[in-house]
Amino acid sequence: MVVQSRGLRDKYCIVGVGETEYSRASGRTTRAMAVEAIRKAILDAGLTAADVDGMLDYQGGDSTLANSVASDLGIRFNFYMDVMGGGSSTEALVGLAMGAIEAGMCNTVAIYRSMNGYSEFRIGGTGARAAQPVRGLDLAQVPYGMRSAGQNFAPTFMRHMYEYGTTSAQVAHVRVAHSKHASQNPKALLKQRVTVQDVLASRWIVKPLHLLDCCLETDNATCVIVTSAERARNLKHRPVHILGVAGRVSKPRLDFHWAHGPISRVAGYYAKDIIFPQAGIGPEDVDVTGSYDAFTFTTMLQLEEYGFCKKGEGGAYVSSGIIELGGQRPNNTSGSHLCEGYTHGMSMVIENVRQLRGAVDDYCPRAAEGVHTYDYSPGHCRQVKDAEITMNLGWAMPATGSALIMRRG
Amino acid sequence: MPQPVQYRGMALIVPDNDSEWKEFYEHARAHRLVVRKCKACGLMRYPPTHACPWCMELGWTWQEVSGRGTIYSYEIVAHAIQPGFREQTPYAVVLIELDEQRGQPTPDEALRVIANLVKADFTPEAEANVAIGRRVRVVFQDLADHMALPQFTLTEEPASGRVWRMPE
Repeated sequence: MVVQSRGLRDKYCIVGVGETEYSRASGRTTRAMAVEAIRKAILDAGLTAADVDGMLDYQGGDSTLANSVASDLGIRFNFYMDVMGGGSSTEALVGLAMGAIEAGMCNTVAIYRSMNGYSEFRIGGTGARAAQPVRGLDLAQVPYGMRSAGQNFAPTFMRHMYEYGTTSAQVAHVRVAHSKHASQNPKALLKQRVTVQDVLASRWIVKPLHLLDCCLETDNATCVIVTSAERARNLKHRPVHILGVAGRVSKPRLDFHWAHGPISRVAGYYAKDIIFPQAGIGPEDVDVTGSYDAFTFTTMLQLEEYGFCKKGEGGAYVSSGIIELGGQRPNNTSGSHLCEGYTHGMSMVIENVRQLRGAVDDYCPRAAEGVHTYDYSPGHCRQVKDAEITMNLGWAMPATGSALIMRRG
Repeated sequence: MPQPVQYRGMALIVPDNDSEWKEFYEHARAHRLVVRKCKACGLMRYPPTHACPWCMELGWTWQEVSGRGTIYSYEIVAHAIQPGFREQTPYAVVLIELDEQRGQPTPDEALRVIANLVKADFTPEAEANVAIGRRVRVVFQDLADHMALPQFTLTEEPASGRVWRMPE
């Protein structure tokens, strides 16, 4: 089915971004963290609480909903929704925010995610979640010791290795690249650069995943603010325009995606045909990617499915140096989920907004003024020179994903 | 139906109004692996659902299948999440492609089932024996008077296609 573009290219912008510290012991509520992240994003945009009249958030019964955090900040709504979801929600909600504004429901929407993802509700399903009763569709997998995200995705990764000869050493380069990027990021939890050998020598979690193939459960809140390009013109930063968005596109048989192969295919197979025509560009035009790295393999699978290389050549692509700072198309320049901290995707959109502003928060002495050295040795710069177009590839699971293409104004 | 059924520290809940799973597990307890078969187009589907994903027909019947199949993909869990699985590590979770309806109605589709690859006593099969392409058959792990868990075990049949294990 062809999805008709609605002519919204360039008409909406992300104007504010904000986040809390990334930690493994926030020592406070998701309400407190959400308020901090939203406030930072409002101030970053040069807005006031009175200018924000819409709110969207995503959660899985593990967070504080919009009614509380908006009240803390003195925000009155013309529109809000609390949405169930984890990975790939950010991009989808950016599209829904555009839709709400386009429908005349509100003017400016703050989108947030707040979670004590390590100290309270662990994403991996350990602790309280592992003790929950098993019923309904979960009976098809959970009684077999298949509950965590890594356990749920590993047969997809294994089948890709079988079909295409992808190796552990190839995908380890995703961790190597992201750790390089994190070494330039004062916010990152893991700033130490690692080697392919470090990844391969780390202990097994669920084959084919080593410990260092997996991301880092984290406490944090994140926020982005969406408004029209018209309003964005008068705000603080150079606007970042939305060229296209695809939200939670799925493969067939979402109840049990194993039924419809090839299981090494991911949702980008369908999403790419929505987003690239909308944006009016192709993969070759993208300067920086933000391919969701819940695991090293998720980054690789999405990059190949969206056409940054041929299907099956993702292992060669991610191990070629292309995805590293200084390479032709760096991926996740903050170090993202593998090294910066796990946010369910919003941090990768925030990073790309900062890249397009030319104002990433690295160790360059004059980073705050947007002056960068482009020295990618440890402890220095992570700004990509003249980044004009970025693309985020959001991942919920092999069968569901989202995408977002932005350009600098 | 008495509930919940306790298994490896998990409470498995299949209430009387569970219109997907209750009868599936009763068949499994009688050591029959069943799937739903569409009354209109005749295609089978798993897990149990309420309309045919190919023709939207509501009518269906339980259809017993042979329980024979091939390992389509797998994983080896080294670090267990659920406490009841810690003593089982390393254990294999396998994605089995059943013999019936392979490549139908399109080449990408098949009846596929998740289970553990187990030995005769339901302990995990040795990792060295887990490989894509190996042939398997269903076995039933009785959990209660009304419930058994379908599991799979290796057979001596020749492999189906290329046999592949993740390189060491």
